[in-house]
Amino acid sequence: MTSTYVPLESTRIATDHQRGWAKSLRAQITSGAKYAFVNADTPHELFHHMGLPIVTNQWWSAIIAAKQLSEYYFDYMETLGFHDRLARYSSLPLIAELEGDTERQPWGGLPKPSILCARQSADDHQKIFSLWSERTGAPLFLISAPAVPDPHPEWWRLARSDWETLYRSDRLDLMVAEFEALIAQLEELTGRSFDHDGFVRYMEAINEQERIFEDISEILATAPRCPIRISEQIPNVMIPQWHRGSEWALSHAKRFRAELHERVKAGVSVLEEERIRMMWIGAGLWFDTSFYSTFEESHGAVFAWSMYLPFAADGYIREIKGDSLRALAARVSAMNEQLHQPPWINSWLVEQAKKYRIDVALMLIPEHDRFSGQGSLFAKKALEEAGVRVIEVWSDMVDRRKWNRDEMSARVSAVLDAVLAEKGV
Amino acid sequence: MPHSSSLRFGEAAGTLLDRAFDARDRHRPSVPLPRIGIFGNGFPETLVAAAGGLPVHLSMGRLRRTTAIDEFIEPFVDEEVRVFLNRLMNGEFADCLGIIFARDDAPALVAYQYTSEWVRQGRAPKSVPPLFLWNLVHTATPAVMHFNALQAEKLFDFFERIGLRRPSDEAIAEAAAAEAGRRQALERLETAGLSGTTAMRWRNAGRFMSATEHADLLNAALVDTKRTAQKGMRIGLIGSSLASTASYEVFERFGTIVCDWQPWGAVWPGPGNGNATLPEILRATAADPSCPRITPTTAYRNALLQALANARCDLVLCQLAPTDDTFGWEIPALASSLERRAIAFINLGFRDTDPETWHARAATLISAKLEARK
Repeated sequence: MTSTYVPLESTRIATDHQRGWAKSLRAQITSGAKYAFVNADTPHELFHHMGLPIVTNQWWSAIIAAKQLSEYYFDYMETLGFHDRLARYSSLPLIAELEGDTERQPWGGLPKPSILCARQSADDHQKIFSLWSERTGAPLFLISAPAVPDPHPEWWRLARSDWETLYRSDRLDLMVAEFEALIAQLEELTGRSFDHDGFVRYMEAINEQERIFEDISEILATAPRCPIRISEQIPNVMIPQWHRGSEWALSHAKRFRAELHERVKAGVSVLEEERIRMMWIGAGLWFDTSFYSTFEESHGAVFAWSMYLPFAADGYIREIKGDSLRALAARVSAMNEQLHQPPWINSWLVEQAKKYRIDVALMLIPEHDRFSGQGSLFAKKALEEAGVRVIEVWSDMVDRRKWNRDEMSARVSAVLDAVLAEKGV
Repeated sequence: MPHSSSLRFGEAAGTLLDRAFDARDRHRPSVPLPRIGIFGNGFPETLVAAAGGLPVHLSMGRLRRTTAIDEFIEPFVDEEVRVFLNRLMNGEFADCLGIIFARDDAPALVAYQYTSEWVRQGRAPKSVPPLFLWNLVHTATPAVMHFNALQAEKLFDFFERIGLRRPSDEAIAEAAAAEAGRRQALERLETAGLSGTTAMRWRNAGRFMSATEHADLLNAALVDTKRTAQKGMRIGLIGSSLASTASYEVFERFGTIVCDWQPWGAVWPGPGNGNATLPEILRATAADPSCPRITPTTAYRNALLQALANARCDLVLCQLAPTDDTFGWEIPALASSLERRAIAFINLGFRDTDPETWHARAATLISAKLEARK
């Protein structure tokens, strides 16, 4: 049933680029260059545009987990007196920092950042970053996160151009004011002035990149059979996303699109006989990414969808409308909430499941990362009402201690058996 | 401002306070006013009073039966949210003109989001009143102060929509004066030499009545009550929201709770309530260091340590709801700060769902720790 899966050339290029970037960044920062340590839902654009390198908390967390170090650090976390029901994904880098043995960490650890930045989307983010700040002495810049009182269910239809209505003027005013304060701090830190005209061009480049990802999502959704694994989808989206708007990121997005297009035209697919299409809901299972191909041989089931690709378009494209900082505020001001809060997440998942012709969804519910887990059962019900079978995966993106692959495979297999039986296969 | 007349019934004020605490949001104050439900700390109740309403906290009730929404509530959602949502869908808050949720109180935000979604899906009964999210940001930059002033305007619009009056400056000043009276009465309560259990019950009784009635009852109860010599250790209680008389009584076998710094402790009413003008109310509310989302972030732990030091605690007990994901980040730093100050710190960990098991474990832990310090 499985064809001999040939990875994309784009994947090798993306991972090589990231490796090279990481090596160069490591060389820069270990030789004393300034850098920022930031959360994923902060305005990376401001740091990039000011020429201040960033290390993203969740990316670094995934790197630590991929090195199979999370078990050690989470055990250590409890010896420090932190209880075992605190968030893991956002805190793994902090725990590695508190543990202090830099030799154990990827890259030999991170030196002291010049600035820390988090958005107060979840209550614990400011606690975690505050502890980083206490530990390293680095200043902490917090971006406030008042909620959207009346979230429009079909947010992605308004977010690109009617973002003023969607995200509310008072929230955008506040966020722009906070961006201006952050820019002033970055100017002081870097000794450079913020180039507003250049920033407009940079924001336009990001929109262009995200439109390419929208094309790619369309190709994947409409291809007769899924042409690539999500374990390839994710790096080809997320690596350019970490460098969004750069010349390399744009050219890589184009390369990825062209290669996929060719692949689909040639009829290449993950499975010659694709029987079941699945979606993986939530962040990646960073310590066990090979799990995503587990059911290809046994059930003809392929993971066709992960949030990172379609969210690149819906979560990022924002018309500039003559005010690039305000457009950036529209991108950032509910970035995380759109992926976790009802009705935003349930409506979007149903839309995506229909578009990608999904049969079965695996929904990661990190019980100790409440912000990421909230609204899951609303989303589950909405998907079920749309005809998608949903399997709850009560686990964590970076903590493998409660992950039992055999048990999960058995649970998923039982559902897939039932789906095949229903389809008469 | 109507004056309290609970005392006309001739009952002891302490008994009335105890009865109100036990009844929670089912308590019926002596002067009926339009009821406005409140979920969470961080909302200045003064503003509801100034609009002619009675602020009634809805997050401390008890669950009688579950409803269909229960199956949508994940196990990591705080118990007070689960109880509230089920009660709301049972029609138990039909007598409220509206419900206000404090965004910067974590359970309140989830309660608001899940309620809103249930309403949006058309699954909520008609008895669910209009909802309002109080979006105040807890810091003091000019941009935040402007934002917070806009939130107050939105709140006033909401008041008008639900049939209350838009608060005038005079009405705010009058309501603030009543709150200042309550604050004075609460200060007397904290220094009256009562048990922490009684202080917790009488303080929280005020969440279900007007500030004036609460102040009158407290003042009368404190006249009636004999000061008793405090025994044992001076205890500080910290961690997750707790309003269990039984738990307090277990802790007070070892001394007296003299500092109650958990969300259902002495951090309520918030510091903005007694201020006479709207800008002053908003400024003080935004600067409330008991909010875990306060910026600068160090303000929270510093205020907690200062409160424990001011109360001259020699034992601090930390207890956590099984769903805690925020306070736990403070524990190691608090433990070492308290150790440096030679204050005993006992982390009782997560509360057990079975109160008897939890109380027995807590008492054993406290005994063992105190024995080890001898």
